[in-house]
Amino acid sequence: MRRLGIALLMSIVCSVRAMAGDPQQLYYALRNKVLSVKDYTADVKMKIDIDYMKIPQLDGKLYFKSPDKMKMVRKDGISILPKKNINLALGSLIPPGDVTVIDVGTAVLNGKTLRVLKVIPEAENTGIILTKVWIDEATVMAWRTETTTRDEGTVVMELTYGKYTKYSLPDKISIIMDVKEYKLPAGVTMDYREVPQDKPKPKEDAKAQKKKGSINIAYSNYVVNKGLDDAIFADPKPAKK
Amino acid sequence: MIKLLRIELYKIFRRPRTYISFGVVTATAFIFQLAMGAGGREFIEFGMQDVSEQFNVQGNIINGYLVAYLILQSLLIQIPLLVALVAGDTLAGEANLGTLRLILTRPITRTQLVLIKFFASAIYTVLLITWLAIIALFLSLFMFGDGDMINLKSDAFVLILKHDVIWRYVCSFGFATLAMTTIAALSMFLSAFADNSIGPIISTMGIVVVLTILSNLELPLFNAINPYLFTAHMVGWKGFFDSIPPYSAIGHSALVLVAYTLAFVGGTIYYFNRKDINS
Amino acid sequence: MTPIVEIQHVTKSFKGVVRVSDLSFAIGKGDVYGFLGQNGAGKSTTMRMILGLIFPDSGKIFINGTEFNNSRRHLLRHVGAIIERPDMYGYLSAWDNLKIFAALTDTSIPATRLHEVLEQVGLKGREKDKVKTYSQGMKQRLGIAIALVHQPDLLILDEPTNGLDPQGIAEIRELIRSLSKDHGKTVMVSSHLLYEIEQVATRMLILHKGNKIAEGLVGDLLNPNEMQVDVRIVPREGVAALIAASGWAGQMVVADNTLLTFRLNKEKIPALAAWLVGQGIGIVEIRSKHSLEDYFLSLTND
Repeated sequence: MRRLGIALLMSIVCSVRAMAGDPQQLYYALRNKVLSVKDYTADVKMKIDIDYMKIPQLDGKLYFKSPDKMKMVRKDGISILPKKNINLALGSLIPPGDVTVIDVGTAVLNGKTLRVLKVIPEAENTGIILTKVWIDEATVMAWRTETTTRDEGTVVMELTYGKYTKYSLPDKISIIMDVKEYKLPAGVTMDYREVPQDKPKPKEDAKAQKKKGSINIAYSNYVVNKGLDDAIFADPKPAKK
Repeated sequence: MIKLLRIELYKIFRRPRTYISFGVVTATAFIFQLAMGAGGREFIEFGMQDVSEQFNVQGNIINGYLVAYLILQSLLIQIPLLVALVAGDTLAGEANLGTLRLILTRPITRTQLVLIKFFASAIYTVLLITWLAIIALFLSLFMFGDGDMINLKSDAFVLILKHDVIWRYVCSFGFATLAMTTIAALSMFLSAFADNSIGPIISTMGIVVVLTILSNLELPLFNAINPYLFTAHMVGWKGFFDSIPPYSAIGHSALVLVAYTLAFVGGTIYYFNRKDINS
Repeated sequence: MTPIVEIQHVTKSFKGVVRVSDLSFAIGKGDVYGFLGQNGAGKSTTMRMILGLIFPDSGKIFINGTEFNNSRRHLLRHVGAIIERPDMYGYLSAWDNLKIFAALTDTSIPATRLHEVLEQVGLKGREKDKVKTYSQGMKQRLGIAIALVHQPDLLILDEPTNGLDPQGIAEIRELIRSLSKDHGKTVMVSSHLLYEIEQVATRMLILHKGNKIAEGLVGDLLNPNEMQVDVRIVPREGVAALIAASGWAGQMVVADNTLLTFRLNKEKIPALAAWLVGQGIGIVEIRSKHSLEDYFLSLTND
């Protein structure tokens, strides 16, 4: 583990020195670093804050395998993860392959001055149209991404680093995403309506606006690049048709 | 009074008809459990379509808690019939049998008789709901295991953690007992007017079905009367399966049900004390 | 002495039809009070009013000198009744039925009393059988056991011999007599048959379409001096004149060529028969009956 940390640190230092001032190189350095984490497991505390989802904090173990395999396991419990395109992995929110990078200057985020890049993939089949990424040039770590996807709207990820900086893995992430409508016929669910209280009806124009939701995850006890079997990610029951 | 209540319960539980209800609950729940075992996943995925578009929901979703909830949801529409089967028979059945006139020539008051009949029906209701709890909840847990429970509402997807479920069931079974006691009181009230039990049983079901339809119609006119329909409050047990139960609304619903129950029992006492027994 | 039951000007209508009209009577302690009337005369309605099953439109009912409505529960401790059919819980045994109805009092009745009363009505040994397997007569006897179990002073029995075979009728009749004579009970018993009332009652009341027609001691109402004797004869002209001229003229009611009707003492029937034979009148049939019965039958034939 210590050897891995040193290797990562070396690569950061080398990259920064070599690519300073070149946004394209900065982006590639970031991506290489992100993709250098081949797998990890971590204990997570996840809070989903979406209007129609009434879900308490979910504690569980998160398994990740590059590039996009992810699974959350809760003992005897139900786990909920966003689908593939809005993965909780940073690697899925930044464009792969050849890209065009535009430097849009710096911005201050939580008191930290960060380089802001716009990254456009050259391939058309990536699912990502554009990613805006806020990078700490000193450590080559992304603190925020704003990804416009083809099918899932815009996904914003904010990352906070602390104890696991040496693996370039966040302590906390926050994902803000577009949320689709949820509705089941009341005649089927036969809900209990709180009859005596006249609840204010949602405004009509509220429907027209795209709803946003957020998912906040706190990580701990990372175990990185120990090799995870694909079987871990297999759905125990047949997936949805 | 206790002696009279014991006699009443003895009469109820010595009659084969009483056990039909327990049999119906058992059979329906068991068929439901088998169906959920066979095709529950497709059924739930259909309900979760909107959620599944964006999220992977994994784990033992079809667990005992969810199956029990679905059984309750469907059975609590039929249980009024099973309650009416006994409560609707309390006075009318005795009239039909001819035993009412014999009972009323004994030195007990008519008010006493109505109260005994009501309490006996309420005890039967408690036992039926307890049986439902055993069959729907414990048998489902045995068959499907436990776990976190999902609840699909018309406007929300609720997830309740495993350790947070049981107390909600205890409360909802308690609430369901109260709601069914209201049905028992209604049935007994109708029973006071009749000389055979078919009328009150069918009338009770008619009233419950019509008012339930009105309660679920989202039309402005019905929304205005909805707070006054006891059927709208009968589903208050579901409130315990919200992420944070709306306690004040549930409390209000419980009070409405208690008020209706008292009104039905009071109405029965008033009418029955003035009724000529011609049967 | 205060009558055990007193009815004062009681009237009851159902849907505009008067069932009992301004009825008053009293039942003294120890009486076997016969309540006679055809079906629909108002007997059951009156009995139901005495038991508080239905409420009079007007008038008052007293039991042991206390107005019934003021103390229904207390007064019913002293009353046992069967109204119309003895309906019970068919799915339960006779013992269970007896136990259930015995418990519907505020006093505790020991099992020995249940055995005693079953013995009294002749159901001992059959008490474990379900009532639905009972014959009508057994149900009737079980009904009487239920009415008797709490040792009431007053028994109200509505048509207790209905549906019974002759032997059953005789048994019930004997039971009623014994209850009155040996146990000092006051019994109010209704029937649509005069003969039955005559057999058991000490006093009687005749009810017709809700109105009291006659009331009094059975001995007075059914006076043996008032027998009606119908003599059917071989047709013969001038019989009426023959009788009018004889010593039987005072007793003759109607006479034509085939039927002669007299009102006379039962003991004079043989002499009348001998006289008719002596006059060469061919007798086909002689029937005697109480004049009250004739009257009652005429009501029944309305």
